[in-house]
Amino acid sequence: MANALNLKVAAAAPIIELDAVVTVLGGRQIHNGVSFSVRPGEVLALIGGSGVGKSVLLREIIGLLKPTDGRVRLFGESVWEITAGQMQALRKRFGVLFQDGALFSSLTAEQNIAAPLREHTSLPSLECLKLARLKLSLVGLPPDAAGKRPSELSGGMRKRVALARALALDPELLFLDEPTSGLDPISARAFDHLIRLLSDSLGLTVFLVTHDLDTLFSIIDRVIVLSDGKVLGDGTVETLKTIDDPWLRDYFAARADRGN
Amino acid sequence: MAAASLTFDADHASLCAAGAWVIHTPVAPELPPLANAPVRILDGAAITALDTGGAWKLLDTLHQAGDISRLEYRNFSPQHLAILNLVARHYPATLAPLNPRADGLLAQIGRGTQALIRNLVGLVNFVGRLVFELLTLARRPGHFRWQELGAQVQAVFVNAIPISAAMIFLLGVVFAYLMGVEAQKYGANLFVVDGVAAAVCRELSPVIVAILVAGRSGAAMTAQLGTMKVTEEIDAITTLGLSPYSVLVVPRLIALIIALPLLVFVGDVAGLLGGMVVAGRQLDISYRMFFDRLDDILKLKTVLVGLGKAPVFALFIGMIACRMGLAAERDARSVGENTTSTVVQSIVAVILLNAVFAIIFVHLDI
Repeated sequence: MANALNLKVAAAAPIIELDAVVTVLGGRQIHNGVSFSVRPGEVLALIGGSGVGKSVLLREIIGLLKPTDGRVRLFGESVWEITAGQMQALRKRFGVLFQDGALFSSLTAEQNIAAPLREHTSLPSLECLKLARLKLSLVGLPPDAAGKRPSELSGGMRKRVALARALALDPELLFLDEPTSGLDPISARAFDHLIRLLSDSLGLTVFLVTHDLDTLFSIIDRVIVLSDGKVLGDGTVETLKTIDDPWLRDYFAARADRGN
Repeated sequence: MAAASLTFDADHASLCAAGAWVIHTPVAPELPPLANAPVRILDGAAITALDTGGAWKLLDTLHQAGDISRLEYRNFSPQHLAILNLVARHYPATLAPLNPRADGLLAQIGRGTQALIRNLVGLVNFVGRLVFELLTLARRPGHFRWQELGAQVQAVFVNAIPISAAMIFLLGVVFAYLMGVEAQKYGANLFVVDGVAAAVCRELSPVIVAILVAGRSGAAMTAQLGTMKVTEEIDAITTLGLSPYSVLVVPRLIALIIALPLLVFVGDVAGLLGGMVVAGRQLDISYRMFFDRLDDILKLKTVLVGLGKAPVFALFIGMIACRMGLAAERDARSVGENTTSTVVQSIVAVILLNAVFAIIFVHLDI
């Protein structure tokens, strides 16, 4: 089945395409020609040591930060060359889960999820709230979480609400910035499986930045390793293990040390 | 993309959904009239696109017509069927009643009273804690944060000199000008000096500068302490064995108490200069005459009354600002609300205190 999936995936045009992205921030060279592409339906992880610019790259892909040089394409359109109106249309096609959730603290959970629906669809507000309830249930939250404010929710619940908000507009592409950081192992694994379930049943493409080895081993189709401003490795977890690089060796050894 | 539609096929007793059932569908199709025969089948062969929003809309439309749990899905593509099944499983969650009823008047009054009591208790706690910390600090003066005090004096006093001077200068100009227009009619030009001196030194400069500092530094303090609370910096200070009161609150309070009288003095000078400029231009009072007259009529007492009010204003502004900052909850909304509240409370406090001072000074015959 994995093969069939890969064949289907290989045929389609890339949904994200980076071409020789160079980033210089504050005089420091962060990326020195990063190129890769993501095909529809893939669940892809971006890994790398602290400070190699994973989050910066994510911000460049979603149009929050302009790369110094190179090109970023989303759904075939060059993010930094299209008009503001076209970018606005693109934004409706992807959802982003920020590291700490970034929920609006003045709104309740369901209002947070309904916010993009209100802005970008013509649905009446009652239906927006009902759809928000549906998304809450989809991410596995009990109905009584709907009326709570972010400050009244636990960290894991906040992440789920944020995921529901990212899914509100039924995007084709989902960006997750360290989705399992700050969660206990049980919640983290449950969150992983939720992401995989949603990506399988909704046909989502998922691009996630992570440090979590368990996430890599359980739900990821393909991994991209960022090191020294370049792509060091690109492939399944198994192929990455064969790459001879001190950081990667230590990274995978961290799991072996735990006796898994 | 073809619009979403629903048709009823009487021959097969089935409903046929077609087109793109997606969240961006502008108008959801109406349920067609059903014959009396029970509908058993939902045919999805003609659906071109389906997402969770569209699937929910489809299920919701069917739900309006009756029980959907026994409907058989037929001819859906595997991808669409997966989405439809997923949404169908979670559909009951969207049936829960929405919008809990709004509070009645009585409940709102009750909540308001509770908030007021909480606020007062918090204020008493704050003042008590502050006095305790001050006493502790008095016993061990080595623990005082001189560096923080310096930084705060810089922020509250030095950086506020230009704006304070400019504001009171303009007030002096306007005051002298308007008074001059009247005084000229009676040939009482010189008395404008008396008026400007008394008004600027005794009332205008202390009150306006205090209001300025409340809006400028008071708001900044609340926002800063509130944000530190959000980012758990206050908790970190506590767990390091330090007291947020002695590290943060006391230096700010003392900085304000030092800064406000100095700013009022800057304001006095600027206001008198403003009056002097207008007197020279409009009333033919030379700078020399202005100074001579000022020397005759401006008593030290008048200036001291104005300067003496300033530390009291500063104490209240600082206490309100720090308390509201520390009382912020851990979200952005609360920081915003408390910052607003600081400015409002401080300005009200300044104006009330000024009225109290006016009465006291009259009774003391100052």
